[in-house]
Amino acid sequence: MLDPFASSTLPVLEQVVQFTQARHGVLAGNLANLNTPDYKARDLSVDAFQSNLRTAIESSRKSRSPGDAVVLGPLADGSGEGLMTIDSGNEPLAVDPFDGVRRSMETFVYHDGRDVSLESQVTEISKNQSLHNLAITLMSQQFRQMRSAISETVA
Amino acid sequence: MMFTAYDISTSGLVAQRARLDAIASNLANISTTRNERGEAEVYRPKYVTFSTDPTKQTRAGGIGVTVASVESSTEPPVMRYQPDHPDADKQTGMVAMPAVDMTTEFVDALEATRAYEANIGVMEITKDLGRQTLQIIV
Repeated sequence: MLDPFASSTLPVLEQVVQFTQARHGVLAGNLANLNTPDYKARDLSVDAFQSNLRTAIESSRKSRSPGDAVVLGPLADGSGEGLMTIDSGNEPLAVDPFDGVRRSMETFVYHDGRDVSLESQVTEISKNQSLHNLAITLMSQQFRQMRSAISETVA
Repeated sequence: MMFTAYDISTSGLVAQRARLDAIASNLANISTTRNERGEAEVYRPKYVTFSTDPTKQTRAGGIGVTVASVESSTEPPVMRYQPDHPDADKQTGMVAMPAVDMTTEFVDALEATRAYEANIGVMEITKDLGRQTLQIIV
C-alpha cells in the first residue's frame, strides 16, 4: 500500500523533533545542576545530528527510483525506527540523533569544578526551542495540506 | 545563521554578569584590610576589561564580546587615622582602606544592569524575527 507520508518530509521532521526533545531534556538537566559541584554540562551536538540526518537523506535519495518511496523501518540495532527505502532490502538508513553527538560544552570551569553558565544554557534551550517550533510548524503545515487534499477544500 | 545573533547577545550577558560580579566584590570588600591568608594587605578594587570575541562572528560584521582580563586597581589605598585598629601603622596610627568609591561602583552597576537588559531585549527581537518568519508559511 502506498504510504501517504513517505514522499513528504515528515519522517525527517519527526527525527528533528525527536532530537530537539532529547536535547531539551539534557539542557534541562544542566540547569537543574547549576549549583552542583564538579558537574560538567552535557549537550547533544546539533552539527553532528544534522550531518547524520543529511547523510541519511542523501543516501535515501540516491537509492530511490521513480515510484520508490522512503518509509520507516526497524533499525539494525533494534533501538527503534529509522528511514529506509523499500527496494534497499533490509539496509536501514538510520538516523540516530545520539550517534556521536554527545559532547561537553566547552565553557569555563568555576572554582568548585562546575562549568555551567546560566546565560549560555538558557540561550541553548531557546535555540533548541526555535528549532523545535520550526519543525512542528512545517509538520502541521504538511498535515493541513493533506487535509485539504482529502476534503477537497481550502482550509 | 540566525542563531549567531543569540550567541552574540549571550556573550554580552556573560560579560555584563562578570562585571556585576566584580562590582559586588568591590562593595563587599569595601572595608577589607587583609588578604585571604590573613596578612595585612589592603583590598584592591577589581575591574573587568572586555574584548571582541572572534569565535562569535557573523559575516555581516557582528561580533561577540568576551572577558579579556580582571585587573586590580592601581589607585593608592585611602589612609584613615584609626590607631586602635589591629592593622594600623604602629608609628602613625594610619590604616590603609580599599580605594572603593561607592558612587562609582553603583553607577557602574546600573550601567551593567542596563547593558544586560539591552542584550535581553535584542534576544527577544531575534526570537520575534524567527516567529514572524514562521508566520509566513502558516
